[in-house]
Amino acid sequence: MIHAVLIFNTSGVARLTKFYTPLHQSSQTLIPKIFSLICSRPASLCNFLDAPELEAFLGPKGEEDERWRVVYRSYATLYFVFVVDGAESELGILDLIQVFVESLDRAFENVCELDLVFQFDEVHHILTEIIQGGLVLETNVEEIDNSVQLSAKLRKESFASANPLSLGIGVGGAGSRGGNLKSPLGWLTGKITGGRAM
Amino acid sequence: MASNMRGLTQFIADIRGARVRELEEKRINKEMANIRKKFKDGNLDGYQKKKYVAKIIFTYILGYKVDVGHMEAVNLISSPKYSEKQIDLDGNNEVDNCLALHAIANVGGSEMAEALSEDVHRLLISPTSHSFVKKKAAIPDVIPAAEWALRIVSIMDDEDLGVVICVTSLVMALAQDHLAPFAVCYTKAVDRLNRLVIEHEYSATYAYYKVPSPWLQVKLLRLLQYYPPSEDPNIRSILHQVLQTIMNNSAEPSRNVQHNNAQHAILFEAIGLAIHLDTNSPLVGTAAVLLARFISSKETNVRYLGLDTMAHLAARADSLGPIKKQQDIIILSLRDKDISVRRRALDLLYSMCDVDNSELIVGELLRYLKVADYALREEMVLKIAILTEKYANSYKWYVDTILQLISAAGDHVGDEVWYRVVQIVTNTEDLQEYAAKVVFEHLKAPSTHESLVKVGGYILGEYGHLIANEPGYSPIEQFRVLHSKSQFCVAATRSLLLSTYIKWVNVFPEIKPQLLNIFERYRHVLDSELQQRACEFYALASRPDEDELLQNVCEEMPPFPPRVSALLGRLNQKHGDTGDKRTWVHGGKEANIDREVVKKKTLLTETNGAPASSDNQDILGSLAGLDISGSSSQPEPSGGSDLFLVNGAPRVAVGPNVDRWFDKLTWSAEGVLYEDVQIQIGVKSRYQGHIGQLAIYLGNKVPSALTSFTTSIHVSDPEALSVTFAKIPPSTIAPRTQTQQLVHVECKKFFSTPPVLSLSFLAGSHQTLSIRLPIVITKFFEHVKLGQTDFFERWKLIGGPPREAQNVFPVELTSAGQLDLVKNRQVVGGHRLNVLDEIDPNPNNIVAAGVLHMSVEGKVGCLLRLEPNREAKLCRVTVRSTSEDVASEVLKLVQKPLKIES
Repeated sequence: MIHAVLIFNTSGVARLTKFYTPLHQSSQTLIPKIFSLICSRPASLCNFLDAPELEAFLGPKGEEDERWRVVYRSYATLYFVFVVDGAESELGILDLIQVFVESLDRAFENVCELDLVFQFDEVHHILTEIIQGGLVLETNVEEIDNSVQLSAKLRKESFASANPLSLGIGVGGAGSRGGNLKSPLGWLTGKITGGRAM
Repeated sequence: MASNMRGLTQFIADIRGARVRELEEKRINKEMANIRKKFKDGNLDGYQKKKYVAKIIFTYILGYKVDVGHMEAVNLISSPKYSEKQIDLDGNNEVDNCLALHAIANVGGSEMAEALSEDVHRLLISPTSHSFVKKKAAIPDVIPAAEWALRIVSIMDDEDLGVVICVTSLVMALAQDHLAPFAVCYTKAVDRLNRLVIEHEYSATYAYYKVPSPWLQVKLLRLLQYYPPSEDPNIRSILHQVLQTIMNNSAEPSRNVQHNNAQHAILFEAIGLAIHLDTNSPLVGTAAVLLARFISSKETNVRYLGLDTMAHLAARADSLGPIKKQQDIIILSLRDKDISVRRRALDLLYSMCDVDNSELIVGELLRYLKVADYALREEMVLKIAILTEKYANSYKWYVDTILQLISAAGDHVGDEVWYRVVQIVTNTEDLQEYAAKVVFEHLKAPSTHESLVKVGGYILGEYGHLIANEPGYSPIEQFRVLHSKSQFCVAATRSLLLSTYIKWVNVFPEIKPQLLNIFERYRHVLDSELQQRACEFYALASRPDEDELLQNVCEEMPPFPPRVSALLGRLNQKHGDTGDKRTWVHGGKEANIDREVVKKKTLLTETNGAPASSDNQDILGSLAGLDISGSSSQPEPSGGSDLFLVNGAPRVAVGPNVDRWFDKLTWSAEGVLYEDVQIQIGVKSRYQGHIGQLAIYLGNKVPSALTSFTTSIHVSDPEALSVTFAKIPPSTIAPRTQTQQLVHVECKKFFSTPPVLSLSFLAGSHQTLSIRLPIVITKFFEHVKLGQTDFFERWKLIGGPPREAQNVFPVELTSAGQLDLVKNRQVVGGHRLNVLDEIDPNPNNIVAAGVLHMSVEGKVGCLLRLEPNREAKLCRVTVRSTSEDVASEVLKLVQKPLKIES
């Protein structure tokens, strides 16, 4: 089962955190912990990490061989990190991360870190189309994209009719990027998928 | 949210309008006070609740501390949602359904989940739901696994791969804890793999970088590893083909990273499954070659998984030969730059260690221990200690290694390690002198770990005198070395040293003054334990020389009673958790065999209705004393029906017709077995010796297809009777058509319970049906020709009870008031007994003979005599056989169709 999905950038700032198991401690300390495990690993190392250190956060694993495993993949300035248990195939999870990123890319058109900052809700919506309750729902990018668009459309409709703060700005739809805000340094707008593939 | 919340808008506008922070705080405090009051008063409707909660959340987002009302907010959030979502679940709009399901999955606590599980389930099995709703209904926590098992598994046949992916995920998660109820998924998984890998039957959108749905393949391959290998030769051969194809596919590497990745993901799972199925199969041979290539791959991921999978192989394989060839590379991997790879290499070395290579591997590990990552050390120490003990060729080597281990990584050495050394040295006389010397040498090192001092104290105290006459090991030298360490030790270790000294007083009178001096000094220390020992020892040592008390007290320790190593005990304890997800553990074959047994036991207990209790630890603990073979080879006779009870499905279908159909088929080769408005089941059979073939015709009588068609056969005693499908049954039966299923039957031993055929399918709703198959012991009779003298000779030879079974029962006469001689003959002949004419002088009587063929228990002869009486309307049947069981069973079967129920 997948226990957590995290996205953080190369400075360790969390952009998305989603846990599928109750945490024993605050996630505020868990994320730096995972980040510290990963950031020190150069690109040539493998994408998997045994993480007995996480037992304090996610509870102990009964079995000696049954460890928390961290599977991660870095794209441009972001780390996509999945915390899984022994029931998952490591390479399968890597594929899944790729699917997730491709789905993000479909929704945002050349997704970059800024999209995740300004449209974190959308990212969550996409994630719920892929993973639910720690189990995988769908791995077909086409399907994911369809249902994301459908629900975005419906949200937009209900939002327009019900939200007290609705001031007529286009909201939540795929593709818009926080009012075309220009990042002064440009580091936030680096394309994710254009970067290193592995 | 149906309407605008004016209050909320106003509140937010006010806060926005606040020019200074104080004003903002004031506004918030006012609002909070108001809300608190409202909550206290209660009686809020849904709208108000939502409004206030929204306000609180907004305040929280602004960064204010929401001190009171937080709990209330949480309660409120879930309670209105609960009612709303319940409405939603019943709604017709599918998107609403999805949203509701999301809410349950994400927000709902377990209570809410339980309350809603019925609705969720209805959606899941409802044939009208669209695929994407079904997918989302597959939420794990909500589902009472065992009851829904069959229905959930049947969705694995869904046409939409997306749905299949979800359901497979779900089945995997559930099957981990409920193996038995989900056993049907085995066939489904094999079938799906076959369709994906061999027949390439999938929609193009599910190809991920040209690989057909890798996620699903990986999941299915993993799922199959949860179950013991199937006995069914047909399933095995399909699985073999699938695995073969997967391995062949990997032969063509591509340059696309994602494609390779997916390909490898499947390949590694396939290898895992191949190892799980049979470590001696040629597939595993191929796999070993592939793995050897992987562990020296340039890609770290592949190296990592190669080592991991090889450890799996090492843990299960009978022969470590192919792996040992790679030993150098593996040892080299211990120095890989990636700690993840180093960990896997360590695991692999641990698993592949045996008597032949133990010295080399342990030596390597010891060398590596000194430079190993801190995080790895503790685990390494335990593993080294276990390997050393398990595969020691000589005790000398054992002592050397453990002492080296203690001096290299003392902090990580648990107490049980040095206890064990002491135990072994005490019990092995040849070793004592050597151990004393070695430990003395180790103690001479400038800094020593406390555990080493303890071992040293104990061993020198007991056996120091054995080496005292050799140069360099004199009593005074022993004393100096040991005592120089004393000051750095904690009180417990010092107490142990005091005991050493008193033993020395006994054997080394020459250093008695120094020792007395020490006791004298310790008599005044503050630690009560030390002080007590010092006082007692001082008094003991000060007694006159001729006194025998000291000698008696300091008698050499007797050997320890043989007992299980504390180390292995500790390791096993960790394995007690049967809820784990791994399909194997690191370590030798034995460790894995133990696990299998435990797993089987769980499977058994679950089958028998009793939930696997939490005392699995005890089961494992007492495993050594249990006769496993006895309990596992005697399946509960009621196992079959209980299984269905657990599943919540009906027991074997009953009804006068069902019985009539079944009884007729016990003595005829073909006919109808079952029929209702939807389905008709017919049977044709052919038997020869102990082998039989059954064609089961499944007819769909309704004008729509029966989908998710699942068939399985349950045999109460697989040792006696094997019943297998010739190939995996199709999952759909088209409207108004019939399919044929071939079933192979083999009789190995005597049996009396017919196998049960279970069907489940979707036809509007989910249906299940269980019926007995007309396979009875008489089907395996062959004719035998006997003359009159032969017959009576044998008849007498067998003799009366218990090898004779006899019964008199009422029979019906024909309409003409005559005996139904034709039917009698048909029944006896139908039970495959050879009716012998002209043996009995009375032409109404029937005499018959047959030989029962069984592949394991061999042949059993059987003689029968049937004597109807027209006047009394009674019939007497006598069966004599060399086997009591056969006699009574044949009697039962033959009289059944003749007897009239009074």
